[in-house]
Amino acid sequence: MISWWKGAALALVAAAGLAAPRAALATDIELFFPVPVDGALARNMSGLIKEFNDSHPDIKATPVFTGSYDDTLLKTRAAIKAGKPPAAVIMSANFLTDLSIEREIAPMDDLIAKEGKTSEAFMGQFFPALLPNAVIDRKVYGVPFHNSTPLLYINADHFREAGLDPDTPPRNWAELYDAARKLTKREGDRTTRWGLMMPSNYDYGGWILEALTMSNGGQYYNRDYGGEVYYDTPTMLGALTFWSDLVHKAKVHPAGEQKGPAVTGAFLAGQASMMIISTGSLTFIRDTAKFPFKVAFVPMNVRQAVPIGGASLVQPTGLSPEKRAAGWTLIQWLTSAEKSGWWSRATGYFAPNKAAYDLAEMKAFLEKNPDAKIAVDQLANAQPWFATYRTVPVRKAIEDELQAVLSGKRQPKEALTAAQKAADALMRPYVEDTALRLPGAE
Amino acid sequence: MSAPSSGPVTREVTPSIARFVVAGLALVWAVPFWWMLVAAFRPAGSGADASLLPSLTPTLANFAEAWASADFPLYFLNSLVICAGILAVQLVTASLAGYVFARLEFPGRGFLFGLFLVQLMLVPVVLLVPNLKTIAALGLYDTLPGVMAPYCATAFGTFLMRQSFREVPRELEDAAMIDGAGWWARIRLIYLPLTKPALVAFSIVSVTSHWNEFLWPLMVINSPDRRPLTLGLASFTLSAEGMQAWGLIAAGTFLVSLPLLAAFLIFQRRFVNSFLASGIK
Amino acid sequence: MTHVLDTIPAAAPAGPPVARAARRPGAGLLLPLALLSPSLVFLALFTYWPVVEVLWDATHAVTRRGTRFVGLANFAALFADPTFQRALLNNALYALGTVVPSLVLALAFALALNGAGRVRAVMRAVFFLPVMIPLVAAAALFLFLFLPGIGLIDYHLARLGLPGANWLGDPDLALAAITVLTVWKNAGYYMLFILAGLQAIPDEAREAALLDGAGPWQRLRFVTLPGLRPTFAFVGVIALLNAVTQVDHVFVLTKGGPSDATKLLLFYIYEQAAERYDAGRAAAATVVTLGLLAVLTGLSLARGQGPEAAR
Repeated sequence: MISWWKGAALALVAAAGLAAPRAALATDIELFFPVPVDGALARNMSGLIKEFNDSHPDIKATPVFTGSYDDTLLKTRAAIKAGKPPAAVIMSANFLTDLSIEREIAPMDDLIAKEGKTSEAFMGQFFPALLPNAVIDRKVYGVPFHNSTPLLYINADHFREAGLDPDTPPRNWAELYDAARKLTKREGDRTTRWGLMMPSNYDYGGWILEALTMSNGGQYYNRDYGGEVYYDTPTMLGALTFWSDLVHKAKVHPAGEQKGPAVTGAFLAGQASMMIISTGSLTFIRDTAKFPFKVAFVPMNVRQAVPIGGASLVQPTGLSPEKRAAGWTLIQWLTSAEKSGWWSRATGYFAPNKAAYDLAEMKAFLEKNPDAKIAVDQLANAQPWFATYRTVPVRKAIEDELQAVLSGKRQPKEALTAAQKAADALMRPYVEDTALRLPGAE
Repeated sequence: MSAPSSGPVTREVTPSIARFVVAGLALVWAVPFWWMLVAAFRPAGSGADASLLPSLTPTLANFAEAWASADFPLYFLNSLVICAGILAVQLVTASLAGYVFARLEFPGRGFLFGLFLVQLMLVPVVLLVPNLKTIAALGLYDTLPGVMAPYCATAFGTFLMRQSFREVPRELEDAAMIDGAGWWARIRLIYLPLTKPALVAFSIVSVTSHWNEFLWPLMVINSPDRRPLTLGLASFTLSAEGMQAWGLIAAGTFLVSLPLLAAFLIFQRRFVNSFLASGIK
Repeated sequence: MTHVLDTIPAAAPAGPPVARAARRPGAGLLLPLALLSPSLVFLALFTYWPVVEVLWDATHAVTRRGTRFVGLANFAALFADPTFQRALLNNALYALGTVVPSLVLALAFALALNGAGRVRAVMRAVFFLPVMIPLVAAAALFLFLFLPGIGLIDYHLARLGLPGANWLGDPDLALAAITVLTVWKNAGYYMLFILAGLQAIPDEAREAALLDGAGPWQRLRFVTLPGLRPTFAFVGVIALLNAVTQVDHVFVLTKGGPSDATKLLLFYIYEQAAERYDAGRAAAATVVTLGLLAVLTGLSLARGQGPEAAR
């Protein structure tokens, strides 16, 4: 299989090389970007890239909408294999480990050095919580573009109606459980309003479960080595059982898999009083909700902790020097304090560039929208995001089991055992090639 | 849609209660389309998305937004190029092969015909993984010809043309041969004009199936400016879902479905006959 | 319906006899081969070669340290994979759940709507319209229909005071929901063939039954259904093939989830190849799927429903 791809890649590279002198005026580059959460992100991105092209006559960047985070990974890999890598990709921050193991993305330290900066100084612009998912083996593989954490959203009207105080949203699991019970409304055997909803579809469910696990004191995965996940552990069992109890015992959370848009839709329609979803949806909720809402930190059990989410800009391997340089220019522009701040206000993601929060328009914005400030403040509790060899299938291994538990098909303990087994099998080739590759064993 | 006429006897096969049930099912069948129309023309934020009552103040805003947020004309053009390209090559390959199997006698004919029929079993879409490798090796990855290539030979088309060619009286070809007409002249001047209905039937079936195709283009195409309508719609739907913009999805779906739906409503009889010919002729 | 149309043999009653073709002056082998060569080139590239390739891939393992021959190990791993077992079962259920209701409904539609009249024509068109839209477009519509809580179905159930369901999110319902979409999409297509089949039943048979005083159900059972047998055999095979080859809606609606509930064979192959980079497993699954399809089409050919019969 590899040899076929390589042959095709070589042919295409050769063809591209022959064609290169023709296009001496402006370097054409592509930027792959996903739309992972709610809102008009695709439209915002077109506007942003137009602005870049207008201010950079020597580069012509084309934004390419590539679907969800998972789809974007597939499309990027397909493009690399076909020898037509995009010059920059907004890549889910937890895919960088896998991509670097497979040598599909290139470190950027040489480009940073050309700017006369050390890698440490360059990455120092960004919130420290983001670095473990961007700097791997002390090499810079990605520049944080937009980042998020899970966030608790509550419907203030529902809180008042249920005799709860919307100004003190639940802080721990006990309060969350209690509030959800009070907020749930039933007519006979039909639930007309759910106390709490959390997304459990592929891509989203694993992240939310990680947030609950970390709030329960867990690590979730080995952040220093891409071949281990801690699915079958007490911290994870507690987290999964809590979610399961919300569904099956308290019956305050609907059963089955819930997709992200369905959760948002239910919250906006007043059919769910609380939800835990990404900060990236904040602007969309603010613009769309027809009722007062508030946001708060994800409630804790053992400690206050959430994983980061969001995406970093990466550059695939195999780019021509011109395209790589042009892509780098685009990456620096997109991650500057001004643009980062603008994108943050347009979407709800926080701006990874710390300097964005020193700018006057950002200060005014946070003044006006205290909810956005809460999202940023939660960064103090942020942990790195689950990342391993073959991240997507390893994540789906737990998500399939999570969905089974939420549907009442599996007990949490047996689900975790099964997920651990599946994940170990998936990571086995890498483990055998690294941690279990011992001297004298050949 | 009009079916061929039938005697009054047939009617009595069904008791009237069954006909009421079928009429009820027809209403159920129409609901998704009805919702699509109602939602597509409903102004954003007016009433429940799920309401089936048309808005009193219909708007084209959803269409305008769908049009602006996805490059539907380009997707349309790509779909058109793919379908036309496949069909053009298929007509040549199928009529040549059809002629051979209908009228030429040579050793190994049965074997070769069997070899063609193998394609009926090895459905191209199931072979998408190895075919993708071949496409990449040929340098056709992420190109429209890459989408078309696996469909250029068609066992079904060959079979259909063979059947129709055999119904052409041999005497006509014999006369042309005496006049010194070569094989191409005979196919072009005698066989093809006399088998127009079969050609039209095959064309309609071929275009419809490739117009609606999704999985194979999804594998081959990566660049957005080469997406056919089906890929464009899937990507558009995903981004509109994030905006909870169901009216927008309805409008986009309507735009994408319109060309074939319109063609069908205008040329109903021809479509119906073609589909039937694809199966029972 | 899509590509299957390209690949389905005609359920033809026997065509004209072939014997006469023999008396043509043969042009030797050169002309036939020349005329067949365009087709043969494409068939070789995209039908025969992929089979070789898939067989090679299925018997080799590509690891981080190179490629080696592994015999049937990929098949052993495939059949031991619970996800694959689930995909096989799902596809069997999906085939059963789409084919039987589609054919029963198509028969009901055809019987009720056979004949002239405006109302009938409109209703036939209504049943047929879903056939004309891409499966992806149908999925885009059903995305909202199945949306829990605020979607079309749940909204109207709630207005009737009935509890809704999480149609695509409940592993017990998701496959059924996908099946409903498929039946909606395809029943009208099969109706068309049954309408044509009804035309082929001689009027005399029905008239004779009428004279014998047979009621509607008896006529259906003893005259109409036997007369439709060849049609059913043919349409049944199309429907079965569709159940394997059409998975576009799974991509839009469920991605094989929740908990593998809607994982069908073709989606499994796609996932193994595109997401897990397990070429061996994907190839082994392809071989198994091709085997199933070959048996299906082979059965239909053996029963004299295919082109062979028309030879």
